[in-house]
Amino acid sequence: MRAILRRILGSPEIGLIVVVAIVTIVLTALAGSHVDRRTGEVVNNFLNSNTIIQTLTDSSFFAIMAIGATMVIISGGIDLSVGSIYALSGVTMAMVFRAVGPLSGSATVALGILTCAGVGLLCGLVNGVLVVGLKVHPFIITLGTMWVLRGIAFVATKAESILVPQSLTAWTKASLGLGGGLYPVPMLSMILLTALGAIYLTRTVMGRHIFAFGGNLEASRFAGLSLARIQIGVFAMSGLTAGIAAFLGAGFYGSTSSGDAQGYELYVIASAVVGGASLLGGKGSAVGGMLGALLIVLIRQSIRTLHFDQNYEWIVVGCAIIIAVVVDQWSSKATARRLSLSSSASGASGGPAVPPGLKGPKSEEKQLRS
Amino acid sequence: MKSWIRAGSFVLTALTVAACAGGKDAASDSGAKTAAAPKTAGHYKIAVIAKSSNNPVFLAARTGAEAAAKEISEKNGIQVEVDWLTPPTEDGQVQAQRIQQAVNDGADAILISCSDAGKVTGAINDAVDRGVPVMTFDSDAPQSKRFAYYGVDDVKTGRETMAELVKLLGGKGKVAILAGNQNAPNLQHRVQGAKEEAAKHPGIQILGTFNHVETPQDAAAEVIRVNNAYPDIQGWAMIGGWPLFTQTLLTDIDPKRIKIASVDALPEQLAYVDKGVAPVLLAQSVYLWGSVGVTTIIDKIHFKKEVPQSIPMELVKVTKANLNDWGKQLKAWGFTNVPAAYLK
Repeated sequence: MRAILRRILGSPEIGLIVVVAIVTIVLTALAGSHVDRRTGEVVNNFLNSNTIIQTLTDSSFFAIMAIGATMVIISGGIDLSVGSIYALSGVTMAMVFRAVGPLSGSATVALGILTCAGVGLLCGLVNGVLVVGLKVHPFIITLGTMWVLRGIAFVATKAESILVPQSLTAWTKASLGLGGGLYPVPMLSMILLTALGAIYLTRTVMGRHIFAFGGNLEASRFAGLSLARIQIGVFAMSGLTAGIAAFLGAGFYGSTSSGDAQGYELYVIASAVVGGASLLGGKGSAVGGMLGALLIVLIRQSIRTLHFDQNYEWIVVGCAIIIAVVVDQWSSKATARRLSLSSSASGASGGPAVPPGLKGPKSEEKQLRS
Repeated sequence: MKSWIRAGSFVLTALTVAACAGGKDAASDSGAKTAAAPKTAGHYKIAVIAKSSNNPVFLAARTGAEAAAKEISEKNGIQVEVDWLTPPTEDGQVQAQRIQQAVNDGADAILISCSDAGKVTGAINDAVDRGVPVMTFDSDAPQSKRFAYYGVDDVKTGRETMAELVKLLGGKGKVAILAGNQNAPNLQHRVQGAKEEAAKHPGIQILGTFNHVETPQDAAAEVIRVNNAYPDIQGWAMIGGWPLFTQTLLTDIDPKRIKIASVDALPEQLAYVDKGVAPVLLAQSVYLWGSVGVTTIIDKIHFKKEVPQSIPMELVKVTKANLNDWGKQLKAWGFTNVPAAYLK
């Protein structure tokens, strides 16, 4: 038991969980209260089941995409097309439903998830193959596919907003016995997919290869890893998670359009970065990505709950991301300097002056990667 | 444990910037005070969710809502509070989330202009099921459980815009339709109306319907591109007045060669009437979106009156003849940027 506890406390994400907990406590303390219309009871404006599940639901769509995007970032790449993949997956599903006509509830859900996941996976594979095959930086490739995929969605739908079958909405908005307007399916999906993402990254050979690829490209090459397969794989995973998020989003909100998820790619990347991923590669986690998304949504929620002027939302999130990463870098440099000084003081020689990953031939690697 | 540094810095910076830069939202100051304690009887919080905060027409609607809330509060000895929950940019999904937030925050009613009716219908129905009445304005969600809609008839608006253009052109000419966001159902209906009207006039040929990002610069750029691509173009039916928020078309369009009939007549757009580039503007009384919306909601939830499901808004035709009267009306509605020339 103590070993498990020590392992949890020693995990890199525990700090994020502590911060989420502190924000929750502060918001609860400052939120005030109102009378619940149904029960007539006085409830806290933040710490009530509806707001908590709504906050988790709002973050679930970003968070699920952030799991895949984090894998791309760990590999040292970037995926700007996740918002467009989300839109294309959603509208494709809606058009498939329109084409096949009414189905039973379970068949609707199965066809929906297969279509969205399939389109997402296919788009991700295209991204990966283009990056590897054309040897062009992922930023450029996914910038291009971001427009291409949204354009396809736009042309295919003729800009129409398409309703999805009621049975799909009934499934994604199932209360699972909670009742009272509580819909936990997106939240539970987020938790499940985060767990799967964490297992994939930390407990499978393929996952470890992603870290190796992003952490040290040359070493990975000399180790005989299939670099192309790893790079295509991470983009495929990113596309897949965007497709799954689209399935949940379309079902939950009841319609899809080519304009869905515009600008969401930046929230997704921000989630990964706030969750501890390094854009230089080699660092990040699925749980971190999910918690990063949750923190961003919590900040947006706190602007609402504390009655700050919500017109400042973009300024707030933008400043917070820059400061968070800068402070993190300063902290890393300070740690490196301390380690360097202590190793000099102890007379050690020949070892690395800084921990691996903090410095090194990153810029050289970036060029090789692109 | 090191991950707390990045996350902690993120949160601390976010809250500090929000507190310093934004301060309390002026519109919800009273709400902030009452947030610490549950609302009392006779205190109503109305969440207003327009399409986007960066569109001046919705800022006028906000002014109207706040003025109506103040007036009703003073007149009836109740407290009506407006909670502005409009997203920064158009996004139906965010609007659906804001509806949920409003209900969770204890709003008594919601007034919304829907960016995407399909996206918000479920959230509106959830809100109504949880006892929070919802009214729509400007852009409706007709399949939802909202109790009323206030706004123009969009098909009719499109028809009237094209009819005015046809009159300006003497019944014949090559024209284009400027159509804004292709996903917005209200704009799609206006385009439909404009096309239906054009079909009645054999001398009118539609060169195309042109969508664009709904910012003044993007819209003006689209107009200039189309004018260059179709040198024989003679008129524009603008079902939204986006490009007229810029000064560009005042110089780039020769009023003797190209005529414009457009929806909307806000202060920045009045120069186009004055210079004859857009001799006719069809104004929506955008201020009334907010004031009629709030008044109707209070009629329903406080005075328990029956309200009609559809409350039509009539367009106001603005030409050189009534330009100054319209300028004064805008000023009275709280617009501070009406040029002095139109206030005489």
